Amino acid sequence: PPPAQPLGRNLKAVLCQRCGSRVLLPGAATFAHRELLLPAMRKKAAAAAGGGGDVVREHWLVRDMFSFENVGFTRDVGNVKFLVCADCEAGPIGWHCLDDKDSFYVALERVAHE
Amino acid sequence: MAKTYDYLFKLLLIGDSGVGKTCLLFRFSEDAFNTTFISTIGIDFKIRTIELDGKKIKLQIWDTAGQERFRTITTAYYRGAMGIMLVYDITNEKSFDNIKNWIRNIEEHASSDVERMILGNKCDMNEKRQVSKEKGEKLAIDYGIKFLETSAKSSINVEEAFFTLARDIMTKLNRKMNDNSSSGAGGPVKITENRSKKSSFFRCTLL
Repeated sequence: PPPAQPLGRNLKAVLCQRCGSRVLLPGAATFAHRELLLPAMRKKAAAAAGGGGDVVREHWLVRDMFSFENVGFTRDVGNVKFLVCADCEAGPIGWHCLDDKDSFYVALERVAHE
Repeated sequence: MAKTYDYLFKLLLIGDSGVGKTCLLFRFSEDAFNTTFISTIGIDFKIRTIELDGKKIKLQIWDTAGQERFRTITTAYYRGAMGIMLVYDITNEKSFDNIKNWIRNIEEHASSDVERMILGNKCDMNEKRQVSKEKGEKLAIDYGIKFLETSAKSSINVEEAFFTLARDIMTKLNRKMNDNSSSGAGGPVKITENRSKKSSFFRCTLL
């Protein structure tokens, strides 16, 4: 189960799984369901997936870009920007569609919580 | 949710290609961990949060995305920028000579009160050095700009550079604030008015 408060905000800080860089402070996002396809994080996994990725369903939803503590945005892929760790570039950890300026999704299974 | 920061600064990295701007922004970009996916697409900008004098500052840092190869950096890229890092490579004299051209480009296209800083990058490669530290310092003095030698690879002075630039922007904003306040200051009542306006002034929401 996601580490969420009753209101659905993140109780714990969201960190990069790999380097521990702080992505979100506690309470900065709300829990959300949405089916999204994210390219694989690791080279081996990417090869196994045939260059595809994983379908992820559980996210932290951030409404303001500047609510992030530290995060990187890729260049556009179609109308999507992927989110990566600001320090080590691990990712994609999340997804942002340019058609919806106020929604930034961070996949629960691609980050650590502390 | 209420805003959780005091300042928001848009910063740009400018300089010839190959001087290591991207590495300044992405410290561990050569790591084998990263999928080819991300290195192929490239990164547009980063948001970083720092604290200075108890103030929480959001930095939005943009790389030129290789536009410099075509000398097409224009007003659109500079729009809203409050700070610019001018980067050259200490092992590449040409990149140093071009700093003057970049400064001219900034003067043509960027806001006139943008804060600037010169960085001599790759200072970990001393054996290949073509530009002396003194030369870098002299150029900076000529233009009245701060200067640091950095190594993105060895993480030397990188954080300090961003903190220095952020501090200079903050100082400039505070000075502007005070100028605005003092011009209208008459008595205690007015001071209170100014105070109540302060927060909206400080929140420099760009974009």
